[in-house]
Amino acid sequence: MPAWRSLFLGFARLVAPPRPATSGGAVFGVARLVAPPRPATSCGAPAGFARLMRRYIVRRVVAFLATLVVVSILIFVVIRVLPGDPALIIMGTEGSPEAAAALRRAMGLDRPWPIQYGDWVRRALQGDLGRSIQYDVPVGGLILSRLRVTLPLTVLAALFMVAAALPLGMYAATHHRRLGDYVAMIASQLGIAIPSFWAGLLLILLFAVKLGWVQAGGFAGWEAGVGAAVRSLTLPALALGLIQAAILTRTTRSAVLEVLYAEHVRTARAKGLAERVVTWKHVFRNAVIPVVTIAGLQLGQLMAGSIVLENVFYLPGLGRLALGAISARDLPVVQGVVLFVAATIVTLNFTVDLLYGWLDPRIRYD
Amino acid sequence: MAPFRPVALLLAVLLVASLPTPGRTQPAAGSGLTVQLTAEPPGLDLTATPASATATVVFYNVQEALVKVDERGRLVPWLAERWYTADNLNYTFFLKRGVRFHNGRPFTAEDVKYVLDRARNPETRHPHVKHYEDITAIHVKDAHTVTISLRKPNAMFLYTLARQGSVMYPREAVEQLKSQPVGTGPFLLARWDRGDRIVLKRNPEYHVRGLPRLEQVTFRFIADQNAALAALQAGDVDVVAGVGLGPESVEVVRRAPNLQVIVGESTSDVILALNNSRKPYSDVRARRALTHAIDKEEVVKGAMFGLGRVLGTNIDALNPYFVDMSKAVPYNPEKAKQLLAEAGYPNGFDAVLKVPPQYPYTVRTGEVIVGQLARVGVRVRLEQIEWGQWLDRVYKQADYDMTIIGHAEAWDAGNYANPKYYFRYDSPRFQEIYEKSESTLDDGKRRALYHELQRIMVEEAPVVWLYAYPRIVAAKKGVQGIWKDLPTPSFDLSEVAWAK
Repeated sequence: MPAWRSLFLGFARLVAPPRPATSGGAVFGVARLVAPPRPATSCGAPAGFARLMRRYIVRRVVAFLATLVVVSILIFVVIRVLPGDPALIIMGTEGSPEAAAALRRAMGLDRPWPIQYGDWVRRALQGDLGRSIQYDVPVGGLILSRLRVTLPLTVLAALFMVAAALPLGMYAATHHRRLGDYVAMIASQLGIAIPSFWAGLLLILLFAVKLGWVQAGGFAGWEAGVGAAVRSLTLPALALGLIQAAILTRTTRSAVLEVLYAEHVRTARAKGLAERVVTWKHVFRNAVIPVVTIAGLQLGQLMAGSIVLENVFYLPGLGRLALGAISARDLPVVQGVVLFVAATIVTLNFTVDLLYGWLDPRIRYD
Repeated sequence: MAPFRPVALLLAVLLVASLPTPGRTQPAAGSGLTVQLTAEPPGLDLTATPASATATVVFYNVQEALVKVDERGRLVPWLAERWYTADNLNYTFFLKRGVRFHNGRPFTAEDVKYVLDRARNPETRHPHVKHYEDITAIHVKDAHTVTISLRKPNAMFLYTLARQGSVMYPREAVEQLKSQPVGTGPFLLARWDRGDRIVLKRNPEYHVRGLPRLEQVTFRFIADQNAALAALQAGDVDVVAGVGLGPESVEVVRRAPNLQVIVGESTSDVILALNNSRKPYSDVRARRALTHAIDKEEVVKGAMFGLGRVLGTNIDALNPYFVDMSKAVPYNPEKAKQLLAEAGYPNGFDAVLKVPPQYPYTVRTGEVIVGQLARVGVRVRLEQIEWGQWLDRVYKQADYDMTIIGHAEAWDAGNYANPKYYFRYDSPRFQEIYEKSESTLDDGKRRALYHELQRIMVEEAPVVWLYAYPRIVAAKKGVQGIWKDLPTPSFDLSEVAWAK
């Protein structure tokens, strides 16, 4: 089936969370855990398609907004329940308590929470996420400037993860219980066991301190050219992607193993297809759904992991902004960043849902 | 196969990206200096935050005061060339001529009046309004002469004018102090890339001839000590100072052929604070028992790799009235047990020791102390709490038994005269002597009072003074002019330069 057709069919069925066609079949074992499948009742009939589509989109948008509201209330309350406030942190141990109290009043933090929240929501709806207490600049611009680091870092790490995990997992599965399989599995076990901050430090010691190939950290900035910018993100992306690549390798291997001995694969071989075609077209394509599911979840984890690595490599990214803002109780920044990350993750999940339909036409969204 | 085309492309990109670069980007020696900074300043306004990160960047480098504390801790004339007082109540200052703010406007006596009037006005939320409360009037005589009147003699007055909260800035720039401070200093603020770096540029109009010697200074924020060390080793930064370098790394740096280490004194006193309002710490015998139970030499060895001076009181070695009291209450576990028994705790007691891991030395010091106190029967549970929580719970509400922290400010004995401070130490005897010392200007008499204060501290043992946190600076060989000791919380870069 040509790619455009499967894409079209997949899109045509995007009217509800994915439901794989059959209840049986170990192939969808992992996918089912994440997005509970239900058997499709009929083949994708285009009748009433636009209406279903509209309903689906409306439902997703409502869920999206509801998530944001819940997340914003949650973070608003949590950060205020935590002991400590920005005024205390600005004054530290040297300032007088009276000065801290006066500063707190000046920042409006002595007002009741619902009023503070209402105020914040009203401005957020007008596109104003407030001003950073620590930095004295608008939060929106701050987030955007940090994205210039975190986004490429995450994308690079994700690419590294996929580039390492898919071939390695495939290789291990097709060489099941042979030397190559064991080597790959030991390597991935190590990858899971090594904490990313340590991997980062080891990479710094080797490539920056011993060999002097790259800087120990920091971001060159896109103004310095794409090459310099990518170079300063390479080590952190490797360290960040390592653990996720190891997990994905193991997922790929077991997913492929499950398909490898399925009947349709035997049939394909019996037809006399070349082993390469069997492996990529009949095995890989069918094994890829759980892989995509896990990879989708891992994108979220890569974002979370970037907090640690942006600190080790002192990159001015979103993760470090969030961490610094939490420890400085820079409330507007914390709220803005969390809201942004929540929106991103919801969008990512949505994208993964769309991918299912493309990868497996049997999955329905009604 | 489709999924693998981008993968191959990516591998190619990664390969190319990881190739060595010819000629690493580094400023030529003599022009610029890159300094690691552990914490990013919470704003650059010295009149709004006492944070040491702000002082490190701004104080002495961007903004200056009438009087300056020099490397040896002496008060020297700075923006005020000289001053006199006949009665210790009215001080007349003669300002240095030809001084200009970074915005080009000349610095005048009107600025002095504006800055100090603003500092003593509680509505401007200066962190230390109290320091200025004795000022009754500021009278501008002419553009370069100003008289400040006090309600009573104040021994700390000149010192207060040298504090970071007394820096001079132009009235028209008051709104931008937080993000774009303007002053008279050797450098002016060029850029603050939030979360990454602050760049200072040479002030070509600086009022001290021949200074500064650097064209540019870049402060880079690197919180992690391991990352900071790696950045120094890799040559990304030239100087790591303050808590940026852990004491465990000093030997590593010392052995590196291209690096140097400076270890000196600072005014940061690391203490085991005790909540004097709680039992058993309300009993002086229990407090003295804890002092006897702690082997401070071993603490410095175990937690600080032998760096740091053992303290006997809160008066540090950079204070001119310092008396070495470190042996006054010596390590003596038998004596400690005896005192505990006298206080009614023959079997010791239980305690929680709260430490903020943001400052790694507090955790390491705590671990050593837990072991030492166990030997006299005091069972301590170490609890790590986040800095914001520490400030709220421990510092603001005094909800704690014991805690460990370094107090960086110089001349901070007044904390022990304040019963509302988180030690909750309320000693009328100490408060009386302290008040007297504040208004005694005769050096000999004041010295005697300070000796008395140190004796009371030893006797009443409100907290356990552990050690003075050393000033540790690691730098590339060839960097010159960095202060060895740090009597004031700044990082004066005006005379720093690369060796020719």
